Amino acid sequence: MLPTTSYRTAAFVEAARQIGVELTVASEQPSTLEAANPAGLLTLDFQSPERAADDVHVFARKQPIQGVVGVDDDTAIVAAFIAERLKLKGNPTHAAEAARDKHRQRQMLADARVPIPRFELHMLSEDSAEIAKTIRYPCVVKPLRLSASRGVIRADNPQAFIRAHGRLKTILAQPKAAACGEPAWHYLIEEFIPGYEVALEGLVVNRRLHVLALFDKPDPLDGPFFEETIYLTPSTVPAGLQAAITQCAERAVRALGITEGPVHAELRYNENGPWLIELAARPIGGRCSAVLRFGEGESGKGVTLEQIILRHALGMALPSLQRERLAAGVMMIPIPGAGTLQEVRGLAEAKGVPLIEDVQITAHRGERLVPFPEGSRYPGFIFARGETPSAVEVALRAAHRKLTFELIP
Amino acid sequence: MATEIRITAEPIDNQRCKFVLNVPVLAGGVRRFTAPDEAKGSPLAEAIFAIPGLAVSELIVSGNIITVVKQSSAPWQAVGKPVGVAIRTALASDVPPVAVSPKPSGAVNDDALYEQVAKVFDEQVNPMVARHGGRVELIDVQDAVVMLRMGGGCQGCGMADVTLRQGIEGMLSQLVPAVRGIVDITDHTSGANPYFQAAKK
Repeated sequence: MLPTTSYRTAAFVEAARQIGVELTVASEQPSTLEAANPAGLLTLDFQSPERAADDVHVFARKQPIQGVVGVDDDTAIVAAFIAERLKLKGNPTHAAEAARDKHRQRQMLADARVPIPRFELHMLSEDSAEIAKTIRYPCVVKPLRLSASRGVIRADNPQAFIRAHGRLKTILAQPKAAACGEPAWHYLIEEFIPGYEVALEGLVVNRRLHVLALFDKPDPLDGPFFEETIYLTPSTVPAGLQAAITQCAERAVRALGITEGPVHAELRYNENGPWLIELAARPIGGRCSAVLRFGEGESGKGVTLEQIILRHALGMALPSLQRERLAAGVMMIPIPGAGTLQEVRGLAEAKGVPLIEDVQITAHRGERLVPFPEGSRYPGFIFARGETPSAVEVALRAAHRKLTFELIP
Repeated sequence: MATEIRITAEPIDNQRCKFVLNVPVLAGGVRRFTAPDEAKGSPLAEAIFAIPGLAVSELIVSGNIITVVKQSSAPWQAVGKPVGVAIRTALASDVPPVAVSPKPSGAVNDDALYEQVAKVFDEQVNPMVARHGGRVELIDVQDAVVMLRMGGGCQGCGMADVTLRQGIEGMLSQLVPAVRGIVDITDHTSGANPYFQAAKK
């Protein structure tokens, strides 16, 4: 299931071709060519997983479906409902829903004593000035449903909290955010956990978590907003701590009841050990998966994350889940400011930096760029591969310095 | 004074890379080469196929874009420079860098296929994609491989690959089964008005 907003369309379509399986692409809006290829293109209501599962059940009478994959937060739930209905490999629906709902996820993790920040659920309609008097600082306000740290704001004192609350309320009142209904009326207030942040990419096979990659995030994520930048793998975190981080993620997977498929987790660690910040039952977002290559593959080029996910969903033999020897990294290009994009200069120079494999500008000319926390759409991605994570990091930063974004306010 | 040649390498993946020039290499049409033998008479293609260790398996030249497909696992960052040198050398020569397309020979009649594919595009594909402000332009057919370019809402669209692989490819396999493949030569990064836009999730 590929939402029309997915960055991962090309990667999954290509993965299906590579492993030689027939693909039916379901999206939430109709393809213009759906009538011409009714077996290969399908429209589903991703906001109504049960209805989507009913529709696929009918569809599958004519076009048998042997595996189902959701690629983002919403479609991970739809995939679980379809898997249950068609008796395919997938997560239980309650597990997928728990992973999607930040409050429910935290309740279940807390019940299982997985280390997570203290949290409170509030309604946006509550008086922020009254709440500000009762909470501990620093804290983080967090919407229940938005992705990519959109709307996530740190507050160090009551005044900052009241401002953060006001900004979040405005963000959640926007039509697309408000469309999710009740979750857009609530938000979380979380304890801010200081520490070093890492991201864990994994595949759950029959309830067992296999770590595919652990990414360092060398840029501090201390707020007030939480815009991601660089991911580097392999992690330079000491081996013992990596084991503790993995155990923490394993406990979270068990606590939520996730049994199959990709997971992406964000964790922090400090003197008290690892903390689970978020866990999603989906693969890494954006175009970041392009940095991951596994084994050597039939062609000697390694296989992609998307090939592994499709193979797993179809019950095909899995290749080696060992990541390649080289270090790799991706930079989500920071949003350069608010304005309408006119031009990106320095692309050739950025691509010419040693170790840089690619620079992809995904924002288009004339697009309005909106900084965090209101925005969340990165203008592009930079990819690098090299002998060491530090060399890759240097290359990513050097390439980024070559880029100039011309904006009209 | 000769125009300074600027070349921008745009890797599609580790096997394929577009080299976009500020000057045209082949005005009108497309040339596709799949072996060194086919490159004879086209100095640009000969030079790129001859780069040691690159193992070029396909080369497509259209307008100011040269798409190179290699089998070598070396990253484009390492092997892009020799390609740039080959391009500059070929363009500096008095000989046309790419010879005009030879007449089709053998069993595949590309002209006939072109007509059939053009009919499918005109009568079926384009009326459908026009609903999203898109269009698909047939550039050429060579050795039964269709070269196309997407425009309007399709250029840079987040679902362009779905339109191509699940839509157009499927239609052609049914309606013009002699077609052996499709190559999209669109510069999707230049799309100014894509119908669907991606957002990180």
